[in-house]
Amino acid sequence: MAETEKAEPPKTKTRPIVRIGIFLISHSLLASVVCCTAGVVALLLLPVLAKNTYISENALMPGSASSMLSNWDISEANRLVKELSDLDSDSEEDAGIASRRILSNYMSNLGAEVGYHKFQPQLNQFHPLHFFSSPDSSIPDHNLTYSSYGISVVGIIRAPRGDGKEAIVLVTPYNFGKNGRGDSFSLSIGYTVFSLLTRVTWLAKDIVWLIADSQYGEYAPVATWLRDYHSPVFTSTSGVDARSGGRGDGLYVLNENHFARRKISNGFRRAGTMAAALILKVGDRNSPFEETLTVFAEASNGQMPNLDLINVVNYLAVHRQGLHVKVEKFWSLVNSKWLEVLGGVFELVGDVARSLNPSWKFGIPAADYVDGAATLASSLYYQAVGIPTGPHGAFRDFQIDAITLELSPKVASFNKGRHNEFVLRSGRLIEGVIRSVNNLLEKFHQSFFLYLLTSPGKFVSVGVYMIAFALLVAPLPLVAASLYIDATKVNLGLKNGKHTPTATLDGIGITFKSWKWLSAAKEVFVVHLWGAVVSLLPYFICQIPNCSPTTSFGIWVFLSIFSLLVLYLILGSPFSHVHAPQPQNKEWAIVKSVTMSAVFIGLLLMSVVNFATAEFGALVIVPLCLIARPLKLDIKAAKMRSFLRVICNVVLCVVAFPPVSFFLLKGISEGFESINVGDFWNWMESLWAWNSATYIYIGMVHLPCWVLCMHVLLHYSC
Amino acid sequence: MKEKQIGFWRWAIASLLFRILLIYFPQNLVHFFSRPEISTPLTSLRRLAEGYWLKQSSMSPYAGSMYHGSPLLLSVLGPLTVKRIAGQPSHILCSLLLVIADVFSAMLIRATGRILQAAYGQKLKLLDLVDRSRSSDVLPSGDVAALVYLWNPFTLAACVGLSTSPIENLVIILALYGACKRLVPLAALAWVMATHLSLYPAILIIPVILLLGYGPDAPPKKLFLLKADDKTRDISSNDSYSQQKRSINQPKLQSNFLWRPVLHFLLWASLWSIYLVILCALSVKQHGSLQEMLKSWNDAAVTVTQALGASYPHPWSCCMPVAFEISRAADLLVMSFLTYGFILTVEDLSPNIGVLWYFFAEVFDFFRNFFLIVFHLNILFMILPLAIRLKHRPCFLAFVYIAISSMLKSYPSVGDSALYLGLLGLFLDELADMQFSFFLFCGYVGVSLLSPVMHNLWIWRGTGNANFYFATAMAYACLQIILVVESVSAMLNHDRKLRSLTVTKLQDGES
Repeated sequence: MAETEKAEPPKTKTRPIVRIGIFLISHSLLASVVCCTAGVVALLLLPVLAKNTYISENALMPGSASSMLSNWDISEANRLVKELSDLDSDSEEDAGIASRRILSNYMSNLGAEVGYHKFQPQLNQFHPLHFFSSPDSSIPDHNLTYSSYGISVVGIIRAPRGDGKEAIVLVTPYNFGKNGRGDSFSLSIGYTVFSLLTRVTWLAKDIVWLIADSQYGEYAPVATWLRDYHSPVFTSTSGVDARSGGRGDGLYVLNENHFARRKISNGFRRAGTMAAALILKVGDRNSPFEETLTVFAEASNGQMPNLDLINVVNYLAVHRQGLHVKVEKFWSLVNSKWLEVLGGVFELVGDVARSLNPSWKFGIPAADYVDGAATLASSLYYQAVGIPTGPHGAFRDFQIDAITLELSPKVASFNKGRHNEFVLRSGRLIEGVIRSVNNLLEKFHQSFFLYLLTSPGKFVSVGVYMIAFALLVAPLPLVAASLYIDATKVNLGLKNGKHTPTATLDGIGITFKSWKWLSAAKEVFVVHLWGAVVSLLPYFICQIPNCSPTTSFGIWVFLSIFSLLVLYLILGSPFSHVHAPQPQNKEWAIVKSVTMSAVFIGLLLMSVVNFATAEFGALVIVPLCLIARPLKLDIKAAKMRSFLRVICNVVLCVVAFPPVSFFLLKGISEGFESINVGDFWNWMESLWAWNSATYIYIGMVHLPCWVLCMHVLLHYSC
Repeated sequence: MKEKQIGFWRWAIASLLFRILLIYFPQNLVHFFSRPEISTPLTSLRRLAEGYWLKQSSMSPYAGSMYHGSPLLLSVLGPLTVKRIAGQPSHILCSLLLVIADVFSAMLIRATGRILQAAYGQKLKLLDLVDRSRSSDVLPSGDVAALVYLWNPFTLAACVGLSTSPIENLVIILALYGACKRLVPLAALAWVMATHLSLYPAILIIPVILLLGYGPDAPPKKLFLLKADDKTRDISSNDSYSQQKRSINQPKLQSNFLWRPVLHFLLWASLWSIYLVILCALSVKQHGSLQEMLKSWNDAAVTVTQALGASYPHPWSCCMPVAFEISRAADLLVMSFLTYGFILTVEDLSPNIGVLWYFFAEVFDFFRNFFLIVFHLNILFMILPLAIRLKHRPCFLAFVYIAISSMLKSYPSVGDSALYLGLLGLFLDELADMQFSFFLFCGYVGVSLLSPVMHNLWIWRGTGNANFYFATAMAYACLQIILVVESVSAMLNHDRKLRSLTVTKLQDGES
């Protein structure tokens, strides 16, 4: 932006960089078309440009030690699982208490410390500025009483070679109420590893095993446990207190029995700072052909764990245990024709390049391209939505690298032998990962935090994907500068040193022309203020009791329009300037230029906060901004070109309106019959409940920009 | 005119109410006063409260490297940090004091603007240039500057974020106002106080002296000479009577440097500084045990101060030989070491919006002293050339100095930017044709939004690193450089324009 704006005064002798700037600005139309196209092409090229992952931290040394996991551990685990499944209690509650007792018995028999963590599933609250605050600043109100609560079991192994300042966390979600097959699988894997780790001598970091009570979802127990872990409460009744009597008493009875002779305590048990966390799940659905491992990594606001953690898991799973590793992908894209064609084109280009010069290793097979693009799209999507894809998201809020590993056994592995082998392989994988992380001297920092995955073994780093984004948004400052210069052309003539006679006769002739943008800036500011109001409105709307999503959405729309009108009344409407004398009536151009600058700043900010949102947002908003022009001018011109522009403008404006684009996308992916007006409200609610920055982006960048573009379109131009 | 007045007051009162509203959001306060952009180690009121607590428990307030401000500020603001009103958020008294300081500053800026504008209009009349610029729908520049100061988000943040920069700004503005109004004792007191509070305003002595010597901002002197020459030439061809009359008038046009107020100023300044030193000594002395503690530090501190005194011209180093002999003076020395030394040696390397922390975190220890000198001389280097070029516009010179020092100072905060952006409004008419105003505006908005995000990315999320945050600090410094360069060149262009206007007028008169 600096260079482009520096080009404002056309001087006779300028530096090359300024000359380039002037050149670009004077050809802004061409430059913006080229840049935008290049941006989209670069985005499509990303799967081709993906690099193979490599383990960057030398201390990790994955797979250098042979596994120590034996069948004895597995048989112990099988005994535990059998005992759990044999429980026959009348109520779920009793079964839960009994199974917790069994678990804690087993763990303390191994020599681990056992604690309980009682939590209440949190109602998600609205924190509009949560993003800017530290994660643990929102300590919940303890006076609230809920009728339901869950109890997780925590086992801690103190490392024989450690100083107790660091820990590795293993989480297995387990529904104590009803015992699913996947849950018992993951429990047996967890127990196998845990029992091994109590005996090994190489442990330098404490091991924490959290059996998260997943009857209220998998995220809540982990999140509440982490928050309690990191915010010590200095009262005697911390940990499990008798907040809600009744059912809590059962647990106390349970503890009384063992308290004297075992290391089981009510108090909250802690180990050191967490180096890494693994969430282990076994999927209920079986994969037909081979045992697969699916890695989930996206945390809130598109944050990713350090790539090294994924690398270690991927390396060990593929090269040591022979598992098939997957990451999420959009299956609908895999079968899409246009991607195949595109992949074919890229392959062809790569082949041609290779035939020209064999050292140009460009291009990948079309099938790989389609696969990579589908994975990349899902990676981008989950980052953009900003909602964590699993319990690992809770760890990222505390700067702990965590991933969820979902194992799926083969269909055939129902018999005992297959079962044991599956547990053995998964256990060895977990053991290997823990052993690697155990080697770490500092927290993960070597590898990337900002990347997109195109397959478990391939990634696109920030340095590559930022190019696509930069190309896409580069036209914004260019066109803004060129519009601004056009609109203030008279002023430039003055600056050129050629004082026109009228100017000299006018005395000092201060015109404030260089500050002409101020009124436009005011308008843009007002609209952005409105955007802030609109994003805050749901906070008040959701306080209304018994409101269906549809009515809430209706209230929201109504209040938004109402507040826009009120703001115009107070701070002056942009339409009130219409009658102000404007020399060339280029007011809309200045408004557009200020809008573009605002959007540019907004997109830049968003690309730092959450790249994927900014990328998607730029794909929609940049064309809209670039093409916006008063409809009246175009209609007056009555040419083919202006007619096309009118159509483009109208279509883009309709599509870019957030609810419309939401319904369109939903309709395309799920069919138009299932659309309900309240869905948009639900979606927005889930966004703000998860503190997604996407919500703020939509409310404070996208929507105001859309409104401003509407202003430009409907501008009363002579 | 009346309407405009009402408009001004309405907006001023609105800003006051807005501040009070913000103060009553205790949650926001928590977020604001831990922001590195707002409270630096020097200006943080939380640190001041800590220092006051130490002082109350008969320890040195400077123990533990928590507090580094002036001992006088400690005595004035300290009790307010402790005092609580039931049912009100804590720190309410301090916040209210800061709000009052802001409002006072705005009023002083307004008054200064009026003086400047009146004087400038007079000068233009002398040149026969009618000030046509004031179209009826623009507020006078003083009012605009005051409103810019009051409504600047930076000022608001500094005021609500519990930093002492509103008070520092108030004192600096007071010095300029006193010099414009020719209240020599006031100007001297304010300048001494400002220097005492934050050291960097010491360089404002040049604009203040120029203001007292030459009077407020005026078109370049050459224009008056040109005019006078022309008139004498004109008249010499006419009758001799009026020639005599003109030659009597001539000295009035060429305003000479007035030495009297300047000498008065220097005298007053030295008096006030002695007074301040005594006050400081008293406030340091108040705690007997403090003295012993400081004494034990003397050996360490004095050797360092000696080394420091050799390289940096800071106020106490000149009286060092005396200081060795008198124990109380040694205390003062230690105090000055702990305050000014802290500023000059850039001890605290916690991130802020300046550029020094990163540099001194990276630099090797044995180059540290060298680069300290280089960085501090950077400010001093620019003083003289600017003073020569802009001597006819001392207030603008003061603005440039403040902008430069807020860019290169060791612990800058947004409060410093608030000050120079407010002063920028005073030169509204002259800078009307400033280039890149829109670019600068966008840059300031962008950087001030990007900086917290980068900080968050680095500190809280852990996915970024120090370079991310430092990048915004560099962008911010660049913006300030562009602002200074553009405003100075716009001012010089304005002078050129005035010159060409005068010349054409004279030619028109001749022909």
